[in-house]
Amino acid sequence: MKMKKDLRGQTSNFLQNNLVPIMFIAICIVCYPLAGFSPSYLINEIVTRMGRNIFLILSLLIPIMAGMGLNFGMTLGAMAGQIALIFVTDWQIWGIPGVVLAMLLSIPLSALMGLMCGKLMNMVKGREMILGYMMNYFVGGLYQLVVLYMMGPIIPIKHASIRLPRGYGLRTTVNLTNLRQCLDNQFAIRVQGVKIPVLTFIIIGALCLFILWFRRTKLGQDMRAVGQDMEVARAAGIKVERTRIIAIIMSTVFAGFGQIIYLQNIGNFPTCTAHTQIGMFCIAALLVGGASVEKASIGNVFLGVILFHTMFIMAPRAGAAITGNAMIGEYFRVFVSYGVITLALIMYETKKRRARSQGGALLALAQKEGGVQS
Amino acid sequence: MKGKKLLIRLAAVALCIALGAVMMVIGRGHTIYLDNKTLEDYQGQTYKAAHRIVITVDGEELTKLGPRERGMSLCIGQTFRMTLEITQEKGGQPETREITMKLPYNLDGIIVNLPAYLAGLPEEAWMSEFIPAPEPEEPDEEEPGAGDEFGIGEDLGLEGDVIA
Amino acid sequence: MDKSERLQQTRLSQLVNTFGLPRLIIAGFLLFLFIVAPIAGADLPTQITNVFNRFSWNAVLVLAMVPMVHSGCGLNFGIPLGILAGLLGATLSIEMGFTGALSFVMAILISTPFALLFGGGYGLLLNRIKGGEMMVATYVGFSSVSFMCIMWLMIPYKNPSIVMAYTGVGLRNVFSLENFYANVLSDFLKIDLNPIGINLVIPTGSLLFFALLAFGMWAFLHTKTGTAMTAVGSNPTFAKAAGINVDRIRMLSVILSTWLGAVGILIYQQGFGFVQLYTAPFYMAMPAVAAILIGGASVNKASVGNVIVGTILFQGLVTMTPTVMNALIHIDISEVVRIIVSNGMIVYALTRKTEGGK
Repeated sequence: MKMKKDLRGQTSNFLQNNLVPIMFIAICIVCYPLAGFSPSYLINEIVTRMGRNIFLILSLLIPIMAGMGLNFGMTLGAMAGQIALIFVTDWQIWGIPGVVLAMLLSIPLSALMGLMCGKLMNMVKGREMILGYMMNYFVGGLYQLVVLYMMGPIIPIKHASIRLPRGYGLRTTVNLTNLRQCLDNQFAIRVQGVKIPVLTFIIIGALCLFILWFRRTKLGQDMRAVGQDMEVARAAGIKVERTRIIAIIMSTVFAGFGQIIYLQNIGNFPTCTAHTQIGMFCIAALLVGGASVEKASIGNVFLGVILFHTMFIMAPRAGAAITGNAMIGEYFRVFVSYGVITLALIMYETKKRRARSQGGALLALAQKEGGVQS
Repeated sequence: MKGKKLLIRLAAVALCIALGAVMMVIGRGHTIYLDNKTLEDYQGQTYKAAHRIVITVDGEELTKLGPRERGMSLCIGQTFRMTLEITQEKGGQPETREITMKLPYNLDGIIVNLPAYLAGLPEEAWMSEFIPAPEPEEPDEEEPGAGDEFGIGEDLGLEGDVIA
Repeated sequence: MDKSERLQQTRLSQLVNTFGLPRLIIAGFLLFLFIVAPIAGADLPTQITNVFNRFSWNAVLVLAMVPMVHSGCGLNFGIPLGILAGLLGATLSIEMGFTGALSFVMAILISTPFALLFGGGYGLLLNRIKGGEMMVATYVGFSSVSFMCIMWLMIPYKNPSIVMAYTGVGLRNVFSLENFYANVLSDFLKIDLNPIGINLVIPTGSLLFFALLAFGMWAFLHTKTGTAMTAVGSNPTFAKAAGINVDRIRMLSVILSTWLGAVGILIYQQGFGFVQLYTAPFYMAMPAVAAILIGGASVNKASVGNVIVGTILFQGLVTMTPTVMNALIHIDISEVVRIIVSNGMIVYALTRKTEGGK
């Protein structure tokens, strides 16, 4: 009898913890026949999107480990990646060397922005997410200033394919013709019409292994301790501020790499706006995979990408099939993406508050008992 | 201990810079335009275009050039290798030549005049820079590729109100 | 410590302390723009007219920030919720066939129950997540805007002046208020100096309406409920001990904010002359938040004065920079300047709170 009850408790717990992925599986199952895509098309699309998005999403894991929530500031890394790509295009470095060079160039930029972001986040502990989110827009403005006005006269950009003839500013689109899918095509294999970008997946695998290894290192352990309880960690002699900054820097650098991988797959990017929705997408995908603001695993990343992008591909067609209006499907997927993030944030905040009030009650109890004793 | 740590970091930075430098050298891309065109009056001599040149790059046949035709190849790095199969006169025996040429780092587009090159003339005779035609005032720009964007609300929250 | 004490002795730094350095820079920059404008060849009265107009459009939206800041709910990034209520009011009022000034009154009346409803739900939600309001508010705003995008297409509106021209299904992206309530407020008691050769137009009606709401807000903050709200915002534990129902007060502030957001967007539309639907409300939160922060508010402190100063400074910056910059250097970097200033201001305000507050 008791076991049965336990089991039921477990199932409801399981349901509660995995509400979002289950919901998404349901959406995908409903949408699939309505959208009417062939399986091979769908699988091909999903594999492509896995290749280009997973690296970006993995970059979110480390700050979550350090208790800093969803790193909305990953967009800063994406901007660094874009600036690096602009230079590489200007210097006409092609192919895989171009991608490697862009990654190397993005490191100092990302690290600098991560440092800035981390320092500010240390000033607003407990509100890192809103700060990171606002930093996107602020640094986005600086990025536009650099790209639209400073590139040319101040920062030398000479290649005619990206600079505007007027002498300053870049064209609205940066073409990565000679970098296009150079990683994806290397060692790519085709299985029944599905192109598998092997090298990209190897890189992703390497990052996964790195993250797994990193969790075991001293620094990784410190981060987890900081994420659990900052004060306890500090008492244990961990440099909390420094650890947090390192977490954000790592995340930003990886996000920069991720953006480069993402853009080499697409083959060009709108100069000023390529980064704006990246953070939102990655975060939504991660949450769809069953992650929460304080806990996320590599499994969540993979599941999330698959589910989120399946929904993403099918929603417009399915929406059109149901309502006769394709726009409704478009809006629906926007709504779902935002809705998922909202839901996750609400769940996180309620949980945090409950924990806090529980902690408060425990403290009060302890004090009371202590008072009686002394 | 501290000195060692610093040393490791410096080494890492140096390694990154070195790697970057290597990438800059081996990754520099060039577009090579191969002309089978008669070079007139170079130091009093004329080098005639061949009847037919078959160009093979990386084991794949790139193109067949008749007189006054141009072929194009992309090259990453500063060394360009190709195999030419030259037929000088109509009905003549084709002659195969392996060619390795060094490309200057700073040129994007390079025009190679094959007859002059094959005649073993100095570099300035067969190599010239390809200068793209000046663009029209407002060039047609390629639409940004379809990423995972919603297609609506390009920069969420960045915009204020519509400028009236 | 020693250094800051010494600094406080000078009057200038006192000014900086009370007014805030970024604000001072922005005010100085605006002053500079006003001085340079005539030299650069821009007509000063026209510029002032623009600033007045933009002020009258936006001020109420900025005012909508005040109640929530007062009750400690932080900056209302969820203002799109109020805007949606306003949009529902506007579209339904037109759909029902009202025109002219009446359509404006009806729009406000119709949007009110929606604002109460949305605000109520939103308030309930925010009461469950104290401490994390701003992030959730942002995303509540986003998801509700995208949800309403679907609704604008699905609600069976019929009025041909607002539905899509070809299909007749779903509302248009933008529609004109020409025959409805465009400029109904700003034309009321309008002062127009054009006949005597000065390009100065003052939209008195809009300004009066704002003054009315602002005075109402000021008065409300001095009532018992209003002071209770301030108490909740500045020290919730104390407020609770004093017997104030914290959740109820917070809820009230959220509803008030939402309603002001609804009215604010209607006033914005009457000045602008168009109704923008679908994704437009996404873009409305940031300028309002930035304006009140520029006006001297912080994450947990805001007054009606902050609203007025902030809106003038922010809108002044927005309207003046393009004209002056264009005239001076022929490069239009105003857009970028605006993005950097407004978002920089928000980042600054966010980082400042915990420094002084806790």
